[in-house]
Amino acid sequence: MIQNIMDWMQRLGPRLNDAFLVDDRYKAYLEGLKYTIEIALMAILIGCLIGVVIAIIKVSASGVRGLKWLNVLCDLYITLIRGTPLVLQLLIIYNLIFTARDTNEVVVGAVCFGINSGAYVAEIVRAGIESIDKGQMEAGRSLGFNHIQTMFYIILPQAIKNILPALGNEFIVLIKETSVAGYIAVPDLAKNAQYVGSRTYDVLPPLFIAAAFYLIIVLGLTWLLKRLERRMGQGDRDKKSKKSLRKHFRP
Amino acid sequence: MIETKNLKKAFGSISVLNGISEKIEKGEKVVIIGPSGSGKSTFLRCLNLLETPTSGEIWFEGNQINGPKTNINRLRQKMGMVFQQFNLFPHLTVKENITLAPVKLKLMSSQEADKKAVELLKRVGLPDKADAYPKQLSGGQKQRIAIARALAMNPDVLLFDEPTSALDPEMVGEVLELMKELAEEGMTMVVVTHEMGFAREVATRVMFIDEGIIKEQNTPQEFFDQPQDERLKNFLSKVL
Repeated sequence: MIQNIMDWMQRLGPRLNDAFLVDDRYKAYLEGLKYTIEIALMAILIGCLIGVVIAIIKVSASGVRGLKWLNVLCDLYITLIRGTPLVLQLLIIYNLIFTARDTNEVVVGAVCFGINSGAYVAEIVRAGIESIDKGQMEAGRSLGFNHIQTMFYIILPQAIKNILPALGNEFIVLIKETSVAGYIAVPDLAKNAQYVGSRTYDVLPPLFIAAAFYLIIVLGLTWLLKRLERRMGQGDRDKKSKKSLRKHFRP
Repeated sequence: MIETKNLKKAFGSISVLNGISEKIEKGEKVVIIGPSGSGKSTFLRCLNLLETPTSGEIWFEGNQINGPKTNINRLRQKMGMVFQQFNLFPHLTVKENITLAPVKLKLMSSQEADKKAVELLKRVGLPDKADAYPKQLSGGQKQRIAIARALAMNPDVLLFDEPTSALDPEMVGEVLELMKELAEEGMTMVVVTHEMGFAREVATRVMFIDEGIIKEQNTPQEFFDQPQDERLKNFLSKVL
């Protein structure tokens, strides 16, 4: 048994070499990495945009009688997105909306992942906004700012500090989830790893290599977020509101 | 300057204001007192529409504040408000707290606002706190900055919602002193407070609100020395 494992380990070296260096195969991973990062960055941007807008609508419209339908619409969006699998959303959006011949799969992927992430970001941002004392809104309004101005100048800058950990978590999840982009024929990191495997007739090593790539990205991002958090924490920090946000973390 | 006509406010089924019709003229210093839950804070907060009245009208400088087409944000620029809990913006420095609104609302350039902030900080006796953050200040200092922030908009009237109630006893004096100076400079003020000494000394008119109506009002002299209303007599005997 142990002998078997030792043998397997010994053979892994050349197999990895085969999957990575021979025939310049590392280029395939880098090419895939480029798509993964492209999609992830665009999706984060779209997700944040959607998330912030939805969150502001949700905290603002609930009290206004004429805008109740907007609130219902937002709830519907969040429920649908959170209640269905990402892969199905990806395929549905790809087949339903982008049916033209010259569809750019990368853009479709980014839009789809962005729409998906938006629902989660919306909930995170909403919780962040609600963690800010309502006196802040009153103070802003009493100075003559309208609701939206108060949001952007006063509420959101304070909320961002509270939501950063949860938001970072969401970005990490998002980056990893882009690995299903292969379903709509995007040659991303995961897809290209499979492609290398099919060339070498050895499936496993490329998957290890791709996984290592994802791990490195996530570790890098985690480090970056930690630093950002610490820098923001140098101002005042409200520990209890941060704790209450934890339940909004994505499972 | 400010006029309310049959102002009523209810929270759900609980009626808080039961028809207040009142006029506040330019230059007046109106102090509103009353037991807790009497509606005095609600009345004050209705004046700049932080609470929306259930019925009735509120007029400010010829505009109906709760009218359907009124630009409330514009009117609020001329009505400064000072809160019990200060409500300074914790993510901004003291100076930024003061300059944020005038600059973002394009009433001043940032140079003008900075200059104004320096003046105001000197005015409230905290010239060295420009770059401090609110959390580094004492309660009394915070409230003085909050007053400076309201003043930065060059308001025509200042509304005070129990400005000293959240302060340590030691710090009440410095805030009241500043308010007194503002009053002497001619600022129109509406003050909800429990500080009877301040009411007696500074007010041009004292109002007693109870059960959502103005039970009695008079010059401070008459108000405190010859109260008519039974409830007011009772109230004064407890607080004086």
